[in-house]
Amino acid sequence: MNNTLSHTDLTLVTCALAAVASPLLAALVNFCLPVKSKIAGWASTVAILLSCVLAAKVFAGVWNNPQIHVQQVWFTIGHTKVYAGFLLNNLSVLMLLLVSVIALPVHIYSTAYMKHDDRYSRYFTYLSFFCFSMLALVVVDNLVLFYAFWELVGFSSYLLIGFWFTKDKAVQANKKAFIMNRIGDIGLLSAIIILFAMYGTFDINALFGHEGMLSISAIRDGQWAIQPDLLPRSYGSIWLSGGASGSLPAIWQCIAVTGIVLAVAAKSAQFPLHTWLPDAMEGPTSVSALIHAATMVAAGVFLLGRVYPLFTQTELTVLACIGCFTAFMAATIALTQNDLKRVLAYSTISQLGFMVLGMGVGAYSSSLFHLVTHAFFKCLLFLVAGIVIHEMQHVKEENNLDIDPQDISLMGGLRKKLPLTFVVALIGGLALIGLPLTSGYLSKDGILIQAFEWSDGKAAWFKIIPVMALLTSWLTAFYVARLIFKVFFGEFRLPQIYPGLKMHMGDGGWQYKLPLVLLALCCFFPLFSFNPFGYEQAWLSSGLRLHGLAKFGSIYHLSIPALVNIFSLLVIYAAYIIYVKQSTFSFPQTGFFYRLSYNQWYFDRIYKRVFVKPILGLGKFMYWFDKNIIDGFIHLLAAVSRFVAGFAAWADKYIVDGFLHMVAAIVQSIGNFARKFQGGKVQYYLFSMLAIVLLLFILKILI
Amino acid sequence: MITLTDFLIVSVMLFCIGLYMIVSKRNAIQILIGIELILNAAILNLVAFGKHDATNNSGQVFALFAIVLAAATTAVALAIILNVYRKYKTIDPGKINNLRD
Repeated sequence: MNNTLSHTDLTLVTCALAAVASPLLAALVNFCLPVKSKIAGWASTVAILLSCVLAAKVFAGVWNNPQIHVQQVWFTIGHTKVYAGFLLNNLSVLMLLLVSVIALPVHIYSTAYMKHDDRYSRYFTYLSFFCFSMLALVVVDNLVLFYAFWELVGFSSYLLIGFWFTKDKAVQANKKAFIMNRIGDIGLLSAIIILFAMYGTFDINALFGHEGMLSISAIRDGQWAIQPDLLPRSYGSIWLSGGASGSLPAIWQCIAVTGIVLAVAAKSAQFPLHTWLPDAMEGPTSVSALIHAATMVAAGVFLLGRVYPLFTQTELTVLACIGCFTAFMAATIALTQNDLKRVLAYSTISQLGFMVLGMGVGAYSSSLFHLVTHAFFKCLLFLVAGIVIHEMQHVKEENNLDIDPQDISLMGGLRKKLPLTFVVALIGGLALIGLPLTSGYLSKDGILIQAFEWSDGKAAWFKIIPVMALLTSWLTAFYVARLIFKVFFGEFRLPQIYPGLKMHMGDGGWQYKLPLVLLALCCFFPLFSFNPFGYEQAWLSSGLRLHGLAKFGSIYHLSIPALVNIFSLLVIYAAYIIYVKQSTFSFPQTGFFYRLSYNQWYFDRIYKRVFVKPILGLGKFMYWFDKNIIDGFIHLLAAVSRFVAGFAAWADKYIVDGFLHMVAAIVQSIGNFARKFQGGKVQYYLFSMLAIVLLLFILKILI
Repeated sequence: MITLTDFLIVSVMLFCIGLYMIVSKRNAIQILIGIELILNAAILNLVAFGKHDATNNSGQVFALFAIVLAAATTAVALAIILNVYRKYKTIDPGKINNLRD
């Protein structure tokens, strides 16, 4: 540990360590409990509550104070020392607090939601392990550790998505999520290796921190190197460990960034690796809430936040394009989905697209701000969806219906049956749309305004990005309105289809209500800013501002919010007309765009055709090749050697043994012949004697 | 005129018959008879050769000795055969193939 660490800093680090470790402890305890034990839920919840409190303490101590960086030698290879430690700066303590705060209501909710599950304690084991991985991910200071926890997050999400492993779809979904994430992991790993080759260190602070190595390196003349003229005066000389050259061809920087982008795309479900997220809805809804809110999918954006200085301007533009396209695409898909959770999943992808777009246009703080605000309202919406699905499931089971409890076309009018759920869903929905007074307004408009400011003074086509983002936010308004209207307004459609249903619906116990209320309260502006209309004033936004990013006012600060919100209200009204008033106007369900959207832009089908089929074909060919050529060759060898062995056996049996047998037979026959003269018959002895004497006489005469 | 050769021919015939009987018969008594025939062939030779002998009647004397010896041995052999018969209920020498008590 650093000797310079003050007493308070040491306390904070200990707190952070405890906050990270307590879910792990809970996971270990739960792992030892029997699978149905009800203690598990409370063990995990208490652990995450503890994490929450400790994280809050760490947050209060570190926020807007100098960062705390402690490390210890982890292992040494040759002369390279690899350190492990904590890096507590504004970004990591914010994430630490956010993850634990979001996880707490999800845990409370889960104790009720998973009550009747057969593997109750397993669920909480996985959940706690997931939280541990994510909490550790945000505080580690080292890319190797980062990668390890990045993998653990992926692994625990695999366990959680496939929690109901008897369902075939769940198994397919978790496999898909896992494989998609592997693709990203390869990217991250290669980026880490390239960075190590370049700078000889894994230390995030030394690489990406203020005055870190990346801030003093640049690409000039096709070489990516540390530029001496960028060195601050305070630096006497730059020391690079492990024989790193500090200079590589520029292409490697490109590859490293591509790797990072791939990793971000996989974890944060960006185009082209987004298809796992909607399928991941097969897990329990509470898991969806956690994965979608602040943890798994946020990890990608968090990674972007960590390695931000790595990106060059061009690469940021590409990033913005990816984010923009993802946001738009996901929003269009969300318009037509009928599965309650799928709409929300696409909404998450869309909002993550916004965050990546924000990163791409340099709206670093707004992007992370959006991550934070989005966590609350998306978590809230998922918990709401969980309650709705839960109640629909009850109706289904009570009446033995064959329906999909997640199908929103069967719902409607639930506001009377689930009043609290309705109110919080409305709050969450409005925040997601980004209407004034909500937290979503602050963060989303921040991104939009900065996207417009960014495109100013650039070529005309750069305007496409902010305009698409603007369009996307209206689409968001539409699909959110559609979802809420279809679920909570109008008449309940299920009794109309199946008359005489028995129904007992309600908001559920306090374990359902408390998390909803907590999260709903966090969807309003006062938590983040005293001024409901200015994202610049948000404490969060200013705390995360990067050094050297200028902030300037422009006409957009007034026009964009007005444009967005007025249009959004119009869109919501249109949705109201369509879905509640049931006016004559309805969307044609056969058009190309409808089908494109309903089939999720055919991504799954394209991937199936372009990647899965050829790979399966390749696999089949390999199998065939293995079976016929390689095995055939082996079999041939076997046959040949078997033949040789057979011949040897035959030769052994008939030639070698045969010779011996012949010798034996000769000896035996001689013996037999000789024996015959000793048969115990006296006359025969005489006879033979006579014969021999005669023979001798004849021989004597002849010779 | 009966010459020595005629005696010898008879003797050889007797010898051969005796030998044949010894080798081929399955009856111990007949074998004994065969032995007697051989002995007789020998005795016949002794008597025939005795005519040309310088010492008087030595051939006949030898013949007498031989006849006595033959009678003695045959008596012994008959005793043995009787004992054998008692033990084996047969006097076929081919079937008597051990000398147990």
